[in-house]
Amino acid sequence: MSPSNEPDDLHALAGEYVLGTLPMTEREAFEPRLANDPELQKAVADWEERFFPYTPMVEPVTPSDYLWPRIERSLKASSASASRPIPHRTPSSHVPRRRLAHSLPFWRGVAGVSVAAVLAMSVMLTNVVTGPSTPEYMVGLLAPQTQSAGGVVQTANRQEIQLIPLGTFEVPEGKALEFWTKADDWQAPVSLGLVEPGQPLRLRLDQLPPLEDNQLFELTLEDDSGSPTGLPTGPIEFIGRAVEI
Amino acid sequence: MSERDMSETGKANTISTENGHGRPTHEFDYADALARCARGEHAALQQLYQYEGAKLLGVVLRIVKDRGMAEDIVHDACLNIWQRADSFDPQKGAARTWIFSIARHLALNAIRGRDREVSVDLDDPHELDDDDTFQQASRVTDAFDWQTGQRMDECLQQLETERRNCVLHAYVDGLSHAEIAAHTGAPLGTVKAWIKRSLLRLRECMA
Repeated sequence: MSPSNEPDDLHALAGEYVLGTLPMTEREAFEPRLANDPELQKAVADWEERFFPYTPMVEPVTPSDYLWPRIERSLKASSASASRPIPHRTPSSHVPRRRLAHSLPFWRGVAGVSVAAVLAMSVMLTNVVTGPSTPEYMVGLLAPQTQSAGGVVQTANRQEIQLIPLGTFEVPEGKALEFWTKADDWQAPVSLGLVEPGQPLRLRLDQLPPLEDNQLFELTLEDDSGSPTGLPTGPIEFIGRAVEI
Repeated sequence: MSERDMSETGKANTISTENGHGRPTHEFDYADALARCARGEHAALQQLYQYEGAKLLGVVLRIVKDRGMAEDIVHDACLNIWQRADSFDPQKGAARTWIFSIARHLALNAIRGRDREVSVDLDDPHELDDDDTFQQASRVTDAFDWQTGQRMDECLQQLETERRNCVLHAYVDGLSHAEIAAHTGAPLGTVKAWIKRSLLRLRECMA
């Protein structure tokens, strides 16, 4: 290692950030610095410009036909709901949706709030739910950005769940809410079908492994015929995890 | 309500996909497209996508090497471009560079995050030095057809071939230090030092 040389270090660090060789921990430490340091911003911008001419070495790949419609749906969903704008994110702090499912801090956050929401709504539930069944698990479904409650999932047993909507949700024309679940060790979420806003829904999960603690449930905004890919494609409207009660 | 079969394919609207192949992209005013995105014009983002969607996907796919994930990232990149268009400052850089950097950094975060999950600790630059044998540096050939006619070419030219390869493998393929080391057969500590010194030489050369 060469002796510490501050300007060189700054430019080398900025260069490695642009190249992409910084390990994740260093990328994460770098980005907050970048946001507040004009000198570093200049250094990064210079490296981006220097290397950009080499981008065309990569062959273009034609996107699938449904990528643009999917982007357009997300655009419309984000502009249709001015009350919950998608927050500005730096490109680097933005976690792509597929990765979100693996992001522990994200889920910890959601799970924590879900518990609170479930506790707050437990009184309400006794009025809504008829029948003496004792649920084993409960899930509070919250809007990721506003944390407003969208519904509760409760279980009569580990093979049957009930989705109880709370409040109202306006589904844009031509869209539908699709219900998904994913346990920690599943590769991908599984669709539980489309959901009528405001209507309770009872589902048997015969085809799925028994419900487990921490299992994820979410409602995404999809085409009115459901996700074209069999995986969530639209924005997450409500999300939560199963809590044993 | 009964459970519906979600596997049936919803018909996606097909847009005309002029993906920029053979198009003189220099005629496209990227800065203007971003300004129109900032004003809320969906058509501006769609034009950007038509011009650059295939190239963005190419760049991202080369880094993440998973088609589904690459399309997710291009989706997220487009939304990022849309949401952050008003923060683009033409004084600070070219619009096209800005657009691609958003997609690249999303892709890099995705794979660097994945590296961390694998959590093989290869961070100690000396750890592998003793084990790895230094490979035939003298026989190294260019891994890339990298001449672009830009000024940076001359600076890259001045680097030793294996060092140039390291830098371009990182930029184009999103390889980590450890992956470059595995790829080139050079020890990890050597790769790290090469990249750092190469960057400083490139900067000096471009100054």
